[in-house]
Amino acid sequence: MEQLWASPGALTVREVHERLSATRELAYTTVMTVLDRLAKKKLTERERDGKAWRYRAAAPREDLAVELMRDALDRAGDRREALVRFVGQVSDEEADLLREALARLEEKAG
Amino acid sequence: MITPVLLAALALVLTGPAPALLARSSWPYRIPRAAVALWQAIAIAAILAALGAGISLSYSTAGRPGEPSFDPTSIRDLLAAAILALTALVLVKLLWVAGRVAIGTRARRKRHRDLVDVLATPDGLIPGLRVLSEETPLAYCLPALRGSRVVVSVGALERLDESELHAVLAHEQAHLRARHDLVLEAFTALHEAFPRWVRSEVALEQARTLVELLADDDARRRNGPGPLARALVALAGAPAPAAGLAAATSATVLRVQRLADPEPRYPLLSGATYAVAVGLLVLPTVTVAAPILTAIVDAVS
Repeated sequence: MEQLWASPGALTVREVHERLSATRELAYTTVMTVLDRLAKKKLTERERDGKAWRYRAAAPREDLAVELMRDALDRAGDRREALVRFVGQVSDEEADLLREALARLEEKAG
Repeated sequence: MITPVLLAALALVLTGPAPALLARSSWPYRIPRAAVALWQAIAIAAILAALGAGISLSYSTAGRPGEPSFDPTSIRDLLAAAILALTALVLVKLLWVAGRVAIGTRARRKRHRDLVDVLATPDGLIPGLRVLSEETPLAYCLPALRGSRVVVSVGALERLDESELHAVLAHEQAHLRARHDLVLEAFTALHEAFPRWVRSEVALEQARTLVELLADDDARRRNGPGPLARALVALAGAPAPAAGLAAATSATVLRVQRLADPEPRYPLLSGATYAVAVGLLVLPTVTVAAPILTAIVDAVS
């Protein structure tokens, strides 16, 4: 995926494989499978180029990061319980209450 | 004629005043596990009572089951059939909404997981852990039957020491293990099945808080209350890059205050709560099933 983001144009499986092989040992078929899977997840787009597929990233990395954060922070307006956050942000007033309760706990433990 | 009236009254109490009262009480937070069971019992009993009211109303209009005496020219029988059809309609609507919520939730979660998998780096500390290079302090889990994820942002890691991180991870893993998301999903479905003007956020809101308490208790038993409370304060009290995303604010205060006290035990209160939960389930079931059983017994003997 990094290679597709780094490249200005669409890449074939062979090209991606060549670029990845510079740093690590990977089977050609592995690259093919991963790219195919990414296309099914609509994270890449592909077009026919003769006999081979050319892949490009469906969106720049930043766009996907923004989408992910919007979703994670529940600002997409979807009320569904897709993910359960550890804790939300609180107001200043509540932050004071939190520190108070924590101090009480530390005192007992201390 | 008395059964449908009683069941309808029960259904009304269970959908209106009972949840409102429960949501305003503070005692459920002392016994989160029993309270979740009670909420579930209330929800199921309300559905059963509403359906039961419809079914028994059609019995009492058109006669007992086991006496096939349907007469299409009789207004009484047609009325009974209409009531039965309406009851079935309610059931279909419930199932429809539940299905829609289930599919929608899974679609959103799958997309989110795909994004996490290309953007975040795996970490071997616990299975399924992904580290996101974002400054916003974030920790959450993506539940799934297989391949669930716990996502922690770099911003969160910077604010936590090792024991605090373990407390956060234990909390998230408790959510994943106990499939708390399914509990919340059921309440969401029920919430959405009601027309907009009668439903209220209270049940869903309390259910959200209760499952957090359950996961907190699990993490507390593993790592003690200290690290978890510090982690909560560190992540909640951190200045948020974008303000106004407070979800369950007062719940956070409640959670930390709760950790400051020794782990509470209320055997009597939770026992009574479980008893009420069971009673609520048995009552409408027996009332609806009784005439059918009588009819079967009559037919056999």
